[in-house]
Amino acid sequence: MTRVFNIISKEFLLASRSGYEVFLPIVYLLIIMMFFNISISYVEKDIMLELLPLMTWISCLLICILNLENIFKEDYDDGTLEMFLMKKEGIELDIMIKILSHWLLSNLPIVIAAPLVAIALGLDFGTTSTLFITLLIGTPTMSLIGSIAAALTISLKKNKILVSVIVLPLYVPILIFGTSAVNNSFFKINYDTEITLMIFLFFIFLLLTPLACSKALKISLD
Amino acid sequence: MHNIVIEIQDISLSRNDNNILEDISFKIERSKALNLYGLNGSGKTSLLNIIAGITEPTSGYINNISGDENIFHKIVYIGHKYGIKGNLTVKENLSYSLHDNNQNNDALISNALDIYKMTDLKNRLTKNLSHGQQKKVSLMKTLILDSLLWIIDEPYSALDNKSIEIFNTTVKKFLDNGGSLLMTSHSEMKNSLFALDNYRIKQ
Repeated sequence: MTRVFNIISKEFLLASRSGYEVFLPIVYLLIIMMFFNISISYVEKDIMLELLPLMTWISCLLICILNLENIFKEDYDDGTLEMFLMKKEGIELDIMIKILSHWLLSNLPIVIAAPLVAIALGLDFGTTSTLFITLLIGTPTMSLIGSIAAALTISLKKNKILVSVIVLPLYVPILIFGTSAVNNSFFKINYDTEITLMIFLFFIFLLLTPLACSKALKISLD
Repeated sequence: MHNIVIEIQDISLSRNDNNILEDISFKIERSKALNLYGLNGSGKTSLLNIIAGITEPTSGYINNISGDENIFHKIVYIGHKYGIKGNLTVKENLSYSLHDNNQNNDALISNALDIYKMTDLKNRLTKNLSHGQQKKVSLMKTLILDSLLWIIDEPYSALDNKSIEIFNTTVKKFLDNGGSLLMTSHSEMKNSLFALDNYRIKQ
């Protein structure tokens, strides 16, 4: 437990000293949602409200992709990743703690901010709650998937596009289940299946990621 | 206690049909320092990475014959990149290194800062230090971590004469206490403060 706390406290300390970067995900979210609101201002309010949770979901997905490369990049650049990989045991646990830190710092703020923005734009409380729940389940899965892609491409100087290309097909099921759940919630239709499938995906990648990531990092450093 | 710590046996490494290392074998002994030397691109760093467990060799073995099961947990590795965080202070960097190895001892940090004459800079962010000072922060890890083997890639690069002297003194003390050093340089080293075996890496 101390180990988990140490790694997370280190990541938070580094984030607090990184300047404005820590606020970028929320800034991106606000910009996208503002433009979205302006661009469909001529559409009827009912249609706008129907599209709002879907648009919020897509915005969150894109923002998640944008900050994926940060998971291991700094550690690779300063050499701490090499020391991290020297350990014969516990690499997988350390990787999971790093992904958790990344999610807490980059994605959790969006998970909290997105429903607030949706409420401010007039979305009902029920759909907003579903939006929050689906993002709460979906974004950790996206971080897990993204960390594998980030690990595979870490040694490339400009890896952002490649990371996006790798993760996009894998994000599609999460996007489908997430948007389907909020859409069903909007029309007061049962969405338990979508939530169950999202939880299922989360656990699959929770099991796969530590091993895949440690292998990918070792290959990238070779 | 076995005198040989680690045996490197027939290590080969190839990438994209290029042989980087071919059948390298030697032993790392207790209380001995070994200098791997060779030209740029001769595979020195690759070999260090293999021994440190960062890279997998194409063939060959790294055998632990020290009698200490935890030998691979007691390696301090300092590579080309120093492994320190620019946005952490000198003291925080050392402190987190100790935490990463489940150790916690402020006295060790103070002692290391004192030895490398960096006490005045302990609260400065390492990104604001010179290249040589950053190198010294990374070398300080050798003093605070519980270790049996130091693997250091070009330890003397970026260091001034005074710092080289300090480093040599710390190595001598470490070797006297039964530790081992594996380091690299571009040329054979003579007149070292401590007994140094030179092993040439051929391309």
